[in-house]
Amino acid sequence: MTLADRLPFLWPEIVLFGFTCWVMMLGLSPHRATRKLCAPFSGVALAIAGIVAWQTTPGAGQVARETGQVLLPGMVMYAKVAIAVVGILMLLLLAGTVDRADEAEIAARRQKFNPLSSNRAEFYSFFLFSLTGLMLCAGADDLIWLFLALELTSLPTYIMVTMSGGSAGAWMPWRNKSQEAGVKYFFLGALGAAVFLYGFALIYGGTGTTNLNEIRDHIASGGLDSLTMTGMLVALVGLCFKIAAVPMHFYTADVYEGAAAPVSAFLAFTPKTAGFLAILLLCGTMGWSYMPESAAGGRWVADAAGTSLPEPVRLMLWVIAALTMTVGNVLAIQQDSIKRLLAYSSIAHSGYMLVGVIAGPGETFAKSGLAAVLFYLLCYGVMNLGAFAVVGVLERASKDGSTDQVHEIETVDELRGLMKTRPILGWVMTICALSLLGLPPLLGFFGKAPLFTSAISAGEIVLVVVLGVNSAIAAFYYLRLVRAAMLESPDAAAPRTVESPFASRRTAGVLSAAGVVVLALAGNGIMRAAQHAAEYLPATDAAHEPAPAHGPGDHSAASDAGHVVEAPPKPTTPGH
Amino acid sequence: MTATELSTFTLTLASLVQESGHAAPAHSEPAAGGMATLLVPVFTLLGTVLCGLFAAFKVKSKLPAWTTVLLLAASFAAIVYTYATGQGTTSPVIAHGFDWISITWGEFGSAGHGHGIAANFSFYVDALTLLWMLFVTGLGTLIALYASEYMSHDVGAGYCRFFAAFNLFVFSMSCLVMADNFLLLYLGWEGVGLCSYLLIGYFYKKPSAVAAAKKAFIVNRIGDLGLALGVFLIYVQFGSVEYKAVFAEAGRYIDAARAGHFDQIPWQVQLIPLLLMVGAFGKSAQLPLYVWLPDAMEGPTPVSALIHAATMVTAGVYLVARSYPLFLCSETALPVVAWVGTLTALLAATIGMAQFDIKRIMAYSTVSQLGYMFAGLGVLTSTGAAFHVLTHAFFKALLFLCCGAVMHGFAGQLDLRKLSGVWKIPGWKVVSVGMLIGCANLSGFPLTPGFFSKDMILAEAFVTPGMAAIGWLLLLTAGLTAYYTFRVFFRVFVGPVEYEPGDELHAHDDHGHDGHAEAHGTVHGHGDSHGHSAATGNHGHAGHFHPHAPGWAINTVLAILATLSIVAAGLYFMGDHGGWAANMVHHSTAALPPAPADHAAESGAGHAHGSFLGMDPHAVMYYVSAVVGFIGIGVAFWLHFAGRTTAATSRADALVPKLGAVARAAQHKWYVDEIYDFLLVKPLWVLSHIFHLIDALLVDGLVDFAGWVPRTVGKVIRPAQSGLLHGYAIGMAGGLAVLLLIVLLAVT
Repeated sequence: MTLADRLPFLWPEIVLFGFTCWVMMLGLSPHRATRKLCAPFSGVALAIAGIVAWQTTPGAGQVARETGQVLLPGMVMYAKVAIAVVGILMLLLLAGTVDRADEAEIAARRQKFNPLSSNRAEFYSFFLFSLTGLMLCAGADDLIWLFLALELTSLPTYIMVTMSGGSAGAWMPWRNKSQEAGVKYFFLGALGAAVFLYGFALIYGGTGTTNLNEIRDHIASGGLDSLTMTGMLVALVGLCFKIAAVPMHFYTADVYEGAAAPVSAFLAFTPKTAGFLAILLLCGTMGWSYMPESAAGGRWVADAAGTSLPEPVRLMLWVIAALTMTVGNVLAIQQDSIKRLLAYSSIAHSGYMLVGVIAGPGETFAKSGLAAVLFYLLCYGVMNLGAFAVVGVLERASKDGSTDQVHEIETVDELRGLMKTRPILGWVMTICALSLLGLPPLLGFFGKAPLFTSAISAGEIVLVVVLGVNSAIAAFYYLRLVRAAMLESPDAAAPRTVESPFASRRTAGVLSAAGVVVLALAGNGIMRAAQHAAEYLPATDAAHEPAPAHGPGDHSAASDAGHVVEAPPKPTTPGH
Repeated sequence: MTATELSTFTLTLASLVQESGHAAPAHSEPAAGGMATLLVPVFTLLGTVLCGLFAAFKVKSKLPAWTTVLLLAASFAAIVYTYATGQGTTSPVIAHGFDWISITWGEFGSAGHGHGIAANFSFYVDALTLLWMLFVTGLGTLIALYASEYMSHDVGAGYCRFFAAFNLFVFSMSCLVMADNFLLLYLGWEGVGLCSYLLIGYFYKKPSAVAAAKKAFIVNRIGDLGLALGVFLIYVQFGSVEYKAVFAEAGRYIDAARAGHFDQIPWQVQLIPLLLMVGAFGKSAQLPLYVWLPDAMEGPTPVSALIHAATMVTAGVYLVARSYPLFLCSETALPVVAWVGTLTALLAATIGMAQFDIKRIMAYSTVSQLGYMFAGLGVLTSTGAAFHVLTHAFFKALLFLCCGAVMHGFAGQLDLRKLSGVWKIPGWKVVSVGMLIGCANLSGFPLTPGFFSKDMILAEAFVTPGMAAIGWLLLLTAGLTAYYTFRVFFRVFVGPVEYEPGDELHAHDDHGHDGHAEAHGTVHGHGDSHGHSAATGNHGHAGHFHPHAPGWAINTVLAILATLSIVAAGLYFMGDHGGWAANMVHHSTAALPPAPADHAAESGAGHAHGSFLGMDPHAVMYYVSAVVGFIGIGVAFWLHFAGRTTAATSRADALVPKLGAVARAAQHKWYVDEIYDFLLVKPLWVLSHIFHLIDALLVDGLVDFAGWVPRTVGKVIRPAQSGLLHGYAIGMAGGLAVLLLIVLLAVT
């Protein structure tokens, strides 16, 4: 296998990397107009990467075992396009997060451009780096690749959090908060990475390979021994850091609160998506074809009649999912700070999505938990963005009337009467909060419903009840947001708020709310795409029969795999 | 995996007009066509939105009215076009709007038990649909024009609200009448119910209007429950809610039913029409659910004319006619329909005889005439029923609009004891003539359309074996109807000129009717010369009161309706047997399938038609009903016109005490409201208080507890979020350890 074989998977990332370098230089230009090109160029980069991903990513039938993972081959393209689309929305929201005061000073000719204190170049290029890492996660076919991609996703976010508080100018309480958040995030992130890296090492120890296809074949033929199993469990717990699930969730509220709202929105989507892609791949190596009692002699062996993950993995994910939903929701109720509230809501949503992972693949959209997870990631990315956008747009008016210093609104009470004072933002908040709650006929409902149905078809009734109860608890705080925005009258005592001068933030919110409504009405295509992306190919011949030689140059295996993908077994085969 | 294999969550709301290529099933599929009918919901919905926008932009002119008239006229044109081009008039066509609901579950395939429900926003256009839509949109246009003047005292937000609801009503009615499945019909059904509620309660500051609106809505809920259950059962029984599939399935039972072998039909199928019937009785105000309609007269009169006389209340008749194949499958359904209709007709007529409020009398006559229609359906003359619906729509709208004109002109006065001789007041000729034509129709005066349509039902009642009793009761009702109808005419429109304004006088002044006041300045003198009776005119403001005669919009509409109420008789002579309406009905699902040949032979000539006193009902019914009608009118003439010198008194006054309790009970509407109140409302009220207690103590307690638990859990675990880095790190590591321990313990 040469790098050239991998190229078809890498074009979007290559495009992004090229643009990233360019954006980094643009941001250091002494000309203000040139510096301002950072954001538009990032957008163009994402748009091109999205189109390239759509056009060039090998479809499910064209992936050879040597060039990519063939567990969830359809996922790669779906994930990359979704990442590009949500990335563009994020970009609109990120406008004006860094260098705002400095740029204002420069515009007023009170200060000269100083490349050393400017953050713009780093900020946008780190944004693009992080999304590049995210796309790489989707295409990973090797544990080492996966680890590097995950870290490429996360490392830039640590810095984005830290610099989102403002420039290194005058003393600001805000800045300290974001630096504290950045440091916490970095250290805890390192701990999380250590945990899943340890897990990866154990998996390598157990199977003797880091290639996902080969690990899958190894497990399919010999089952999971206790070393591999421990590796899987530890790795999954480690990945919980990325998706902000119990017990790795502690950082979430502090970091989201410390970072500027647009960056928090970014955190709620990017590392979470990376984590879920990695979890899907790891679970994919084991497969959803075990019986609860299929352990024998310290090994967990797949069974033709089995329909779930190996019992220890299923049990652990079950506990994590239930705890994550519950902890996220009950703590969200307690919050007065709107960003902390949304942070806990983000934790709870990870719990919901884990239900889909447990449910596993299925023949139809309604039955496929994997399709549900992939679809919900997109839904969550869109609707959560709107809620954060409202926080990003509203700022406390400073006493001297200048707009240089950013004080975002903090408490839910500051949303009061939004519908009356700023109807557009009020509607954005209302629609997005109701969608996050999962109220039909909004997008959140169509995202959450397949989680329920897939878990029911997988027989996880207790978990479905937990999911239902948690959805009800969630109404508590989402409706609080709606009530504050919609029903209450403006609070005269609260600090006066103004709108952020960056109109694109409002655009992001409006687009998000519009997406919540439009996609709910016309989401069929995306659901179909998600269903297609979630096509899981169980280990076939490689496991039980002597595998057809899959040396380089032999394409029969690849074309076989392709055949299977394009014409999967009919849903109702006799004896199924 | 192909798209068709994705069974799903697909709630498609978007895709507009596209023909989906269904494979042709075994039974003949209605062709596509009649696309112009889709314009009706589009226009009316547009009207609703525009009127809403007018309200938002605080339009203070008659713009909403003109918009509505224009859009409704366009809707009418679309229906006329469909009819004129013959789409659907001979065989049904389906106009596909968009896929509305399409859900499948279970697994399809060889071994699958897949289920699905499909209901499109599509219209089933056949002759019955067109018959209904012609008068719904036609009358809608005329009545909107009338309302443009009638509602003019409310120009502003109220005016917009009125016309928005008016458009929404026509939209819902078009869904109801044109739907190609029971689900869309149900949507329309609820939609018209909502509009009815909104419009009855139009004067929402008036407690009686609010109460009437609530009553109409709640009583209709009972009927709607029946309809909903009926639709559910249809789905369970036939696996679809689409007409074409349901009627094709029901067709399997029709032969057995026509041959009288009802034991071969499953009881569930026989239950369906009984449930649908409950819905029909609620919407069409039949026993025992008729009580809401007389109260519904609290709404503005154009609403009473359009919704509560001409169109919405005939929805029940439509439902029965549309589902005729289902009704024929049941042994009991049609006889029940016939008896309920007949008894309602009689009861409402007796109540109508004793009322003094002319609008209420018209309301009871509507209930009574609807009873006729149901009786017609019950005695197997869907043609007669449909024709009566049509003629009734014209003449009852005319009557209501005349009453409305009186009410408008005399400041809300509706008491027939306080109005007299309107004919002789200048400017009231059109109204009076219109009223005369309407009354003649209602009382079945020979050669009026009402005469022919009523005769079709009466004759058929005598013809149908075993239904003679119904025929006699209906004949009696015809006499009573003639009496109370002309009672109104003789009291209000002829006789000595005398009037007293109603209590809306101040309201009118408040709305600043300067224009009207001046315009009628010339009438002033005449009014005085005729003189108010001092006895009745001396009620404070009455001395300054002068009725204002209707303007051009009202008069034009009345003239058109009066003309229609005469020329519609011509429809009876169009075509060979039974006229135009028969032709229309023959080409719809309401057509009566011929009895199977063997059955006809077996019952043979011996099984003759029923007869009327040994004569052929078809031949003699014209004369009999004419005579009965004349008797009724004669009695009314003698009691209420001959020798009457004041508005308040007549010869009938002397007669009433002699009837004693009967007259009192009739005047109190046979105490039906009181009985319902005692039997249903009071017990429910007590029960609701008991439930309220349970709710307050137990349910609220549980809810509070449910809210308290997560909050408390949150409070307990919140300290873990200390904000300290090492604390978090310990939490993460400890969490990992605990999870691994749990798994270890669980699996070993």
